[in-house]
Amino acid sequence: MKGYCMKPGPFRYIAAQSVEEALDVLASAEEDVAILAGGQSLVSLMNLRLARPDIVLDINRVPGLATVQADDSGARIGALARAAVVERDASVGRYVPALITAIGHIGHPQVRNRTTIGGNVAHADPSSELPGLLACMEGTVTLASASRGAREVGWDEFFISVFTTCKEPDELVTSVNFPMAPGWRYAYDEVATRHGDYPLAGVSMGLRVDGGVVQEARVSVVGVADRPVRLSSVEAAAAGQDASAALARDMAGIARTECPASDDAHVSAEHRRWLAGTLVSRLMASMVDAA
Amino acid sequence: MRTDTDRPGLVGSSVKRVNDPRLLVGRGRFIDDISMPGMAHATIVRSTIPSGTVTSFDVADCEALLVLGVDEIAAATRPIPCVWIAPGQEQVEVPVASRQVRYVGQPIGIVVAPSRAEAEDAVECLAIDLAAEDGVADSLQALEPGAPLVYPERGSNIGVEFPIGDPSELVEEAMASAAVVVSRRLRIPRIVPSPLETRGVIADWNPGLEQLTVWMSTQTPHHVRDHIAHSLRLRADQVRVVAGDVGGGFGSKEHLYADELLVCLAAMRLGRPVKWIEDRVEHFTATFHGRDAYHDARLAMTEDGTFLAIHTSITGNLGAHFSNVGTGPFRVSAVMLPGPYRLPVAGASIRAVFTNTTPTGAYRGFGMQEAAWVRERLVDEAARELGMSAIELRRKNMYRSDELPLVTPTFQEYDSGDYGRALDLVDARVRAYAPAPPASARIRQGIAVATHVEFTGLGPSKAQDIVGFRLGGYETAVVRMEPDGSVFVSSGVMGMGQGIETTLAQLAADRLGVPLERVRVQLGDTGVAPYSAAGSIASRSMTVGGGAVVRASTALREKILRIAGAKLEVSPSDLELVEGQIHVKGDPRTGTSLEELVTRAWLGLDLPEGESPDLECKYVHEPLNISYPYATHAAAVSVDLDTGQVAVDAYWVAHDSGVVVNPMIVDGQIMGGVAQGLGIALFEKMLYADDGQPLSTTFMDYLIPLSSDVPTMVMDHYETPAPHIPGGMKGVGEGGTIVAPAAIGNAIAAALPEIAEQILETPLSPGRLWTLIHKAGLHDG
Ligand SMILES: Cc1cc2nc3c(=O)[nH]c(=O)nc-3n(C[C@H](O)[C@H](O)[C@H](O)COP(=O)(O)OP(=O)(O)OC[C@H]3O[C@@H](n4cnc5c(N)ncnc54)[C@H](O)[C@@H]3O)c2cc1C
Repeated sequence: MKGYCMKPGPFRYIAAQSVEEALDVLASAEEDVAILAGGQSLVSLMNLRLARPDIVLDINRVPGLATVQADDSGARIGALARAAVVERDASVGRYVPALITAIGHIGHPQVRNRTTIGGNVAHADPSSELPGLLACMEGTVTLASASRGAREVGWDEFFISVFTTCKEPDELVTSVNFPMAPGWRYAYDEVATRHGDYPLAGVSMGLRVDGGVVQEARVSVVGVADRPVRLSSVEAAAAGQDASAALARDMAGIARTECPASDDAHVSAEHRRWLAGTLVSRLMASMVDAA
Repeated sequence: MRTDTDRPGLVGSSVKRVNDPRLLVGRGRFIDDISMPGMAHATIVRSTIPSGTVTSFDVADCEALLVLGVDEIAAATRPIPCVWIAPGQEQVEVPVASRQVRYVGQPIGIVVAPSRAEAEDAVECLAIDLAAEDGVADSLQALEPGAPLVYPERGSNIGVEFPIGDPSELVEEAMASAAVVVSRRLRIPRIVPSPLETRGVIADWNPGLEQLTVWMSTQTPHHVRDHIAHSLRLRADQVRVVAGDVGGGFGSKEHLYADELLVCLAAMRLGRPVKWIEDRVEHFTATFHGRDAYHDARLAMTEDGTFLAIHTSITGNLGAHFSNVGTGPFRVSAVMLPGPYRLPVAGASIRAVFTNTTPTGAYRGFGMQEAAWVRERLVDEAARELGMSAIELRRKNMYRSDELPLVTPTFQEYDSGDYGRALDLVDARVRAYAPAPPASARIRQGIAVATHVEFTGLGPSKAQDIVGFRLGGYETAVVRMEPDGSVFVSSGVMGMGQGIETTLAQLAADRLGVPLERVRVQLGDTGVAPYSAAGSIASRSMTVGGGAVVRASTALREKILRIAGAKLEVSPSDLELVEGQIHVKGDPRTGTSLEELVTRAWLGLDLPEGESPDLECKYVHEPLNISYPYATHAAAVSVDLDTGQVAVDAYWVAHDSGVVVNPMIVDGQIMGGVAQGLGIALFEKMLYADDGQPLSTTFMDYLIPLSSDVPTMVMDHYETPAPHIPGGMKGVGEGGTIVAPAAIGNAIAAALPEIAEQILETPLSPGRLWTLIHKAGLHDG
């Protein structure tokens, strides 16, 4: 009988001391292994017994996985870097400020102290901020395994569906990469019922503006589908247009038709689509003002 | 806070709360902080279906210290009695376990193991078959023809129906004669109480002494003790309930649940201590909910806005069975419906409905939040229809202070106060408010008020009996001055974070002329505290329990002065007791030290003729009437038309809760109450699927306010002492929660006149508001 629970089912605990050891455990274990990073999602799932791993592989003691690097080519964040650390990193603030904004919407300071960037992305919650930003920035995720070494996959390949990624059972996420190219600026904004909640809709926007004209635009939305979605019609409509209030209105209008969404117990699909449009126009206003 | 009375002494002083240093450094002793040698851990097995039958309960090869299933539990226990019985209510007790399951979360067994994790593992090995039947969650759907029946043998889901107040002919006559009748269907959804500390219990059976000691997180230690003894067929003296620190209750811990009883039973079977801590997921379905009522309400008035009548037809959701208080919240909604207004005719009809949901019971505001929502929304809607200011309409219809005391058409004897003054104070604050202009044209701002009169205290016992509430309304205090001059105070009311240990100490110290540090207040242990039938519910700890402390302390002071008078050969009335010294009034040199007098008294020395040596007084305070505090609140809100989000920008309260013993604590009670009211207004709703499957089971899908959602509050207090209460205190625990949803709802309506008439149901979440805004065409163009 399925009971009410607050304690995880029995599991074996292994604390890896190196990436190699972690990969060995992943490669050799015949049972179900859960990688424990910040534990902010995994532990509650285990307490509810919705996750029943046989082995918990704790990577918190693994050295070298918490690096934070940012320059004009973007930010490369080690999987174990804590959200709170990245949030305060001066070079990330300088080169990829949108990442700081997006992280600021993840839960509350206590949650961000533990949350890791790798765990957040690997968890692949469809309402999660960072996957949306990653989609907007054409970001990548680096995965490693004992037998096949490292591979870098694009966001589109990585995020498959709700809590589902292309990560194989023997793979570890080692870094999350938010690339920047010359002339691009990014921003993130969302609407949540309370600050820190998963958003009802969250929009990431990237613009390359030259001489007041939008050369290229990228727009992604989270909270509306089973994974982050890019709004390609909105992007296409912006390209080559004057970065103006009229464009913002047009883009919002298109977003409200293009954005997928479904009803849930709290908000309607129509409402979510409307929010996507509102966020698109707000982001346009703030990015064009800031230009 | 500003009060208009400045008293010397401890009463009225914002002394710091005596328990806080201990609690703040983590030295609290909540149930889960207690560990005992040999202690085992329990988990409760619960129904996972809204309706059906337990067809088999097989322990299989489950590894546990003890497993008790439905049949064994039913055989070992007597049903738990209901406490508040409505006219015509047939179900007056509830079996501790039964094969028939009627809601998800209903306990059907208990498993005990060396640890909680192992107990939860063991549950997974149980072979339990549940045969599911159709269920129904909503009270109106439950009344539709062909709806699944919660008790098929009853033939209908109506648990009980009865009227309150003026007879319907009178009501209909008044409605028919009125120039304007505002009528609406309003809804107050289900609330999950959500105290910081969930429920918890440790039971320990001593087989030699045949004594059961129960440490429990409860608001009502004696009441719980009585029901444990009854259900387990023990004598009352065999059960001792000890409540230590309680991390909030809000009404949800005011009775005995089957869960706690199962833990007692398991401890008796095992002969070792057993602990159970309610999981947060359990809390969403295993702890009784609050609210859940539809109101078809009407407010009638003349063309100039003079109120003529108010009436509401309440469809209240009982859940799967009558809770201990049953229809109590619906009844209190009805009797408090008129509020502070002169309403020549007032009445209600109550229809209480069974559904396949967790039973509904007490939650901060107990029916009065619903009444305030209904009445205050109708008043604002009336103002809009009449084209009058909502404040003027209220002022015109409020009882003036010279009209009090009076008895309302719903039998409430409003005691004292000046209702209009609270309105005036808030009105002045609102007028002086200069909000920052909205950040964009898509933000609307609105300000509105809501007002109420509140029923606090419970009592007198005879009045309780008349309404079928089998719970004595008195409260007892024991105050003792120890041989060293320190003071021990004991009472059957309970602390649960509201600060009552501090305020009772203030009352005693003030009367006994000793410093606050010399007073210790002991609550919560049935082995020590005097009997309390009702414990800490209904905002009664200070008004009823405090009244008892005032009287007992005064009696003790008089005794001390009599002894001192005899010793000093002066009349006791010429003496005063200040800071540990007794001296002749106006002559500080002639006197004696309190400590010396007390020490000798306990030696049996220096006593006047007929005076006993014990310096201990007990007083049983049976209030002549309950006390009626009142308040006006106002909220200023911003609504984002595009997102449906609401921010409460400013909040004002003007309040009269009689004599304020500790202004800081009273402020805290109101602020916390408003925060919970804000949760009701904007976020909180327990969701069920139509068949009774709960959809809100964690704080991910049931939102409560965060500190950042709660605005700074400006408070004005003034004092009209409660005429029937020694010390003059009125209750203050619930007012904040009662009015805040209506104040915020009215402010949202003021911000959005286009949809004001549809602001009828909480929570006013982004989803609900956005849809109303969208349908009203405010997104067009
Ligand atoms: C109150 C609260 C509010 C929150 N609000 C938000 C929010 O608004 N937005 C948001 O995005 N998140 C939110 N979260 C979730 C939080 O950000 C999670 O911590 C995050 O999603 C997972 O990160 P973690 O490091 O805690 O991972 P864990 O919980 O340890 O792991 C999560 C999953 O990822 C896997 N995993 C972890 N690291 C790796 C790795 N290196 N390689 C492969 N797999 C890995 C784990 O096996 C597990 O399946 C909230 C959490 C809480 C408790």
